[in-house]
Formats: sequence, C-alpha cells, structure tokens
Amino acid sequence: MHWMIENWLLIVSLGLLGLGVGLLMPTSRERSRVVGWLLAMAGVGLLASRLHVATGPLTESILFWIFATGAIVCGILMITSRNPVYAALWFALVTFSSCGLFLLQSAPFLAAATVIVYAGAIIVTFLFVIMLAQQAGATLYDQRSRQPMLATLLAFVLLGSLIYTIKVWDTHQAAAAAIELRAAITTNELSRPALNQPVGTMHGLGRALFSDYLFAVELAGTLLLIAVIGAIAMAPRRPEGTL
Amino acid sequence: MLAIETLEVERYLVVGAMLFVLGAIGFLTRRNLILMVLSAELMLHGVSLTLVTFGRMHHSLEGQSFSIFILTVATCEAGLSLSLILALYKRTKSLDVELWSTLREAELPLPLLDDDQRKSKLTLPMLTSFPLLTPAGRAPEQRGTSGEIHTENGVSLSSSRSERK
Repeated sequence: MHWMIENWLLIVSLGLLGLGVGLLMPTSRERSRVVGWLLAMAGVGLLASRLHVATGPLTESILFWIFATGAIVCGILMITSRNPVYAALWFALVTFSSCGLFLLQSAPFLAAATVIVYAGAIIVTFLFVIMLAQQAGATLYDQRSRQPMLATLLAFVLLGSLIYTIKVWDTHQAAAAAIELRAAITTNELSRPALNQPVGTMHGLGRALFSDYLFAVELAGTLLLIAVIGAIAMAPRRPEGTL
Repeated sequence: MLAIETLEVERYLVVGAMLFVLGAIGFLTRRNLILMVLSAELMLHGVSLTLVTFGRMHHSLEGQSFSIFILTVATCEAGLSLSLILALYKRTKSLDVELWSTLREAELPLPLLDDDQRKSKLTLPMLTSFPLLTPAGRAPEQRGTSGEIHTENGVSLSSSRSERK
C-alpha cells in the first residue's frame, strides 16, 4: 500500500488515460466520444504535469510538448478510428510527430528517412490496399473490437511498470556513468564522436554506417532484395498469369 | 558534457513507451488486418524513439544506426505483409482477421468475443455507407432496379459474417 500512496499520481493518470482509451474503442453500443476524450486528456495532462521540468531551453520544451501531444493524441485516434482510411492518415500524423521528436534528439537523417519511407511509401500502399479491399464502404469488423477493456487494462499495466522503472532509474546519474564508461569501450569507434563534437551529423552517421556497420548495411540491402522477390512471389495473380 | 546536462531523457522514454503501448492495444483489439500491421508499425516507432534517446544519452551514433536498420526491416515487413494480406483477401473477400480463427488447434475454444458482437447487423445507420458523390446526369441502364447501389452495400456488409458459418 505504501508505494501506491507514493505513486498515486502515476496510477490515477494512467487509470484515467486507460479508461478513456477503453471507452473510445469501437463497440456495438453507440457511446458519446466526449467522455472518453475528456478522461484520456485528463490522464495525459496529469502525466504531463508529472513529467514537466523547468530546466533546459524553453524552445526545446515547447517543441517537445507539441510533438509528444501530437504523437499520443494521433495514436489514440488511429487505434480507435472506425474508418481504416482515417486510421492510416492518423498514422501518418503520428509518423510526422515522432519525426519531430527524432529531430529534437539530433537525428535529422533518421527523421527525413522515416518521413520518406513511412508517410511517403508505406501509408500510400496501405491506402491502396484499403481502398481496393473495402470498396463497399464501412464494414462490420471495423465497428467492433476484440475485448477492448481487457487489452487496454493489460497494456496500461505494462505502461505503468515501464514508467515506474524509468522513474526509479536515475537518468542523470546513468548518463554521467555512460560517459565515464566510454573510455573503456574500444569497439565501433566511428560511432562515438568525441564529447566536444556534435552527435548525429550526416557526415558522422555516414562514416559510422559505412565503416562500423558495413556488413550490416550489405545484409540489409540483401534483405530488401529478398523481400521484394518474396512479395512479388506471394502476391496473388490474375487468372491470365499477369500480376 | 553540456549536451548531456540539458538533456531530459525521461520524458522521451515515456513518450516512446506510450507509443509502444498504444500500438500494442491496437494490435490486440482491432480486427482489420491492415490496421493490425499499422499498429505493429506504431510499436516500431516507439522502439525507434527509445533507441535514439538512449543513443543521444550515451553520446554515440549506435542508437541512430540501429533505428535505420529497424526502418529497413519495417519496409520489408510492410511489403511482405501487404502481399500476404492481398493473398488472404483473395480467399475470403474480407480483411477480417476473425475469419482465420478456424486455423487454431481443434481443442482450443473460440476466440473471446463479446456477446453482442455476434449480431451481424450494423446498428449505426450513419456508418453503413460512406458518402458518395452525386452522380451526374442519368444513370446508365443496368440489370435490376435503380436502388441497386444501396442494397449492394447492405448485402456486402452482412456477408462478411455469414461466410463464417
């Protein structure tokens, strides 16, 4: 009971958020979505008040909150949407928001590549398949979800334990220890820029990818080739033999 | 060292964990095959964000490189899953994953379903069809009556359930 009193804010915020998400999931009963959204937003707000830190540059904080709220709200909208086309579009917005977070974590190449690959390629092909398969309109199976409350409860228990672990683990001390540890590690030298150098430049990332991870890059290329061959081999054909 | 001190690791990790958990909920509850794959991609976003955050915390490029490989594998996964989904769709004419629950072991029970889910009718009238564009001019002559478009919708909606039996 003691730790419950200590962590009441975490438990209450995750409970509100989980209840909101569970109420928003599509079911046969028509519910007002307002209640679910109010509960979910209250949970997000409580969690945000716990995570708020006054230190650090203000611009990064503001950008972080914009992108983080965007990612989480669009993620909830995506998994609760009754229309798969809208769900795919919300997923594109989640992708943009998390690319903003990548940029804040000084990973510009990864952000650009994720936008191109996810929002540019994956979403478009998924939309093609949705529109090919669901020409008749809304379908029954999109209006019903399997055991929404049970799944939400289990997932939020997992989230609570994850956040509790992150909180217990002292990140500042761990970061300082990690910097001290660097001297002892001798592998992947090009992936570790000097402490006074910026991390995540295109130059440094390219050097790291094509020296430390050269074999992995070759393997990834081979994997892409095999996946293309497999996708063409598995895709259904028309009776006349063409794709 | 300045970059480390101003860095707030915790909140990025929390956002990554939340994205992962939202994707897990979507994967477990949604019944549309495509939405299940998209939810798995949402989980991958959460993992990528966590890896990038750890990489920045350690002031190294290993997290970013790992995320780039995750991106490559996710692309392969999306292509393969799309062709698999198309092959499955060709057999059942539906994206419902429940139609494939007959593949389970013989002694296992039916998957958990709410009782009211067994009703094979849409209860919300606004959801039975998407809005259509107004047709321009007279509709061309077709076999059957003029109201065919609407009944076609109704038939295809209820057919996804009746195929199961």
